[in-house]
Amino acid sequence: MKPTPIRESVTTIGHDGTRRFLQPALIFGSWWRARRAVAWLLIAFFAALPWIEIDGFPAVFLDVEHRHFHLLGTMMGLGDIWLLFFVITGWGFLIYATTALLGRIWCGWACPQTVYLEHVFRVVDRLFEGDHVSRAKLDAQPWSAPNKMLRRGARAFAYLVLCWAVAHIFLAYFISIPGLYPMITDAPLAHPAAFVAMAIATGLLFFNFWWFREQLCLIVCPYGRLQSALIDDDSVIVGYDEKRGEPHGKAAPGIPTGDCVDCRRCVQVCPTGIDIRHGLQMECIACTACVDACDDVMTKLKRPTGLVRYASLRELNGGKTRFLRPRTVLYAALLVIGLIVASIAVLRVQPAAFKLSRPPQTELYALSEASVANVFRAKIQNKDEIPRRFFISAESPATKVTVLNQSAGMVIAPLTEITLPLTLLVDRQDYRGEFNFMLRLRSEDGEISLLQKAHFIGPDPRTLKQ
Amino acid sequence: MTKDQTRGSKPVIMPHSYDGIQEYDQSLPNWWLFTLFGSIVFAFLYWLANFVTGTLPDDRVAINTEIDALEARQLAAIKDLDEPTLWKMSRNSKTVAEGQAVYNSLCFTCHGPTLAGIKGLGFRLNDDLWVHGNTPTAIFNNVSEGITFEGKPTGMAAQKVLGTGRIAAVTAFLLSKQKEGAMKVIPRKDEPSQLTP
Repeated sequence: MKPTPIRESVTTIGHDGTRRFLQPALIFGSWWRARRAVAWLLIAFFAALPWIEIDGFPAVFLDVEHRHFHLLGTMMGLGDIWLLFFVITGWGFLIYATTALLGRIWCGWACPQTVYLEHVFRVVDRLFEGDHVSRAKLDAQPWSAPNKMLRRGARAFAYLVLCWAVAHIFLAYFISIPGLYPMITDAPLAHPAAFVAMAIATGLLFFNFWWFREQLCLIVCPYGRLQSALIDDDSVIVGYDEKRGEPHGKAAPGIPTGDCVDCRRCVQVCPTGIDIRHGLQMECIACTACVDACDDVMTKLKRPTGLVRYASLRELNGGKTRFLRPRTVLYAALLVIGLIVASIAVLRVQPAAFKLSRPPQTELYALSEASVANVFRAKIQNKDEIPRRFFISAESPATKVTVLNQSAGMVIAPLTEITLPLTLLVDRQDYRGEFNFMLRLRSEDGEISLLQKAHFIGPDPRTLKQ
Repeated sequence: MTKDQTRGSKPVIMPHSYDGIQEYDQSLPNWWLFTLFGSIVFAFLYWLANFVTGTLPDDRVAINTEIDALEARQLAAIKDLDEPTLWKMSRNSKTVAEGQAVYNSLCFTCHGPTLAGIKGLGFRLNDDLWVHGNTPTAIFNNVSEGITFEGKPTGMAAQKVLGTGRIAAVTAFLLSKQKEGAMKVIPRKDEPSQLTP
């Protein structure tokens, strides 16, 4: 028996803390169809990405083992990790902006939790255990009941296979399809780390979709918890038109009634177990199931649809939604600025990296009869798929700096990093004390040119006078 | 704790009130409490196993065992590296080529691409005059441990990280330019490439 939702308590948690399982009804409405189309598109996108090759590597390949991150044909090394700042802030501003405008549109349409639960696992539920009525009946039956073990077991097996498949696709993002294939065909013990990662991912997915479900959205998800700070009266939410619907109940002569006939269809279909007529609640993931349910009933009753609809609180109270508000403008501006800066940063990522340091346990400088010498350690990474010849030269307008033994340059193999000791000499006659200069790494083909600041250390020039 | 309430009824409001704010008497989800008490139990068991009974391997002991095993392997490898072996290695073209690769990636910065040394930076290594020892094992040790002069570290730092194999190879590469028995020891001030002011 489904508990009656109230505003003050979470329906899926009993008064004694026990978990209450929901068996929401399926409503085959127009929003549901649209959401299913988006969901399948997203699943196809997720599954296809590791298979698509760009420049010989998967479109997205986060090669943690070698610290090579291939993104749409660009290889990022560990040195480019600062770009993650833009990914995280960009994601943040995008979510802030869309939430301020359209509420929890992400939760209802695009979140993997909703996408897989509503459009994959609930399909399996219906396939093995029937509609919400027979599922609830099966829930209530003891395990000794005929076929309960069989139907639950079959459903669990189907869940396991699906979770196993999703875990493999997930793993492919980190080891690529060509890397994954031998791991699938070999014995599990041949690749213990990958096998354990896959087994844990499968287990977590299974637990999440089999048992945890809406608890993730209600209690664990930080985005859900941030809602009260992110939305205001003008954000578009899934809301019940109280003015039109109330007082609810069956029409009877002499009693004034609103359009809501209290059929409780919206409660039956809700995957988080709320009654949307209680107003905006933190459990609502804006999935639009209640919109479809109510529209269906209203159509049958030949009343206008939209008693439950996408609307802002202001609109539901008879006002007009203001989309242009300080917060939406600010979030959008920050998002645009972030996008511009991120694009510039990504476009400036060169297929090579050049870092300078001082070798440990060596003297800061050395003196010879003719010159002052400094030794640097250069780390050079060729992030491209072709070998390249690199040259290092010093750019120092005030004092002439000679880079020793580097006139022929060096060839670096694809996707490798070398550590190179560099000896820099300054003629005693030119030396006027410590100074800053630049070291330039350039490739023979002129594709790459990277600058690094360096500081030349030496003695007080007065001590060098003969 | 409140008595069992009928489903759908409103939860009981606790009698206390702070600044006019009251709270409902709601239960936490059991699964949430399970994670809380589970982690407390785990912390206790971990403490017990780690600090009381010592059932879990101590990190320090584990690391030391690993370092000891590594050192034992290195020592075993070095023990076999006596003078005749290093001389023999210096006549093996594969080992010498390997050593030359190490030299060209590291040592040439100070000792020059042709082993001729760089004034003020690194000694000449292509003549038969040696300052810090004229035996193969002395060269091996100098590369491995670095060189101190009059108690102070010099620019020649310990290159232990290269590992026994590569240090032996680079030693063999240097010896390949030498004749057995012809290496002489000279004082630092007489080294022709060493011209400190």
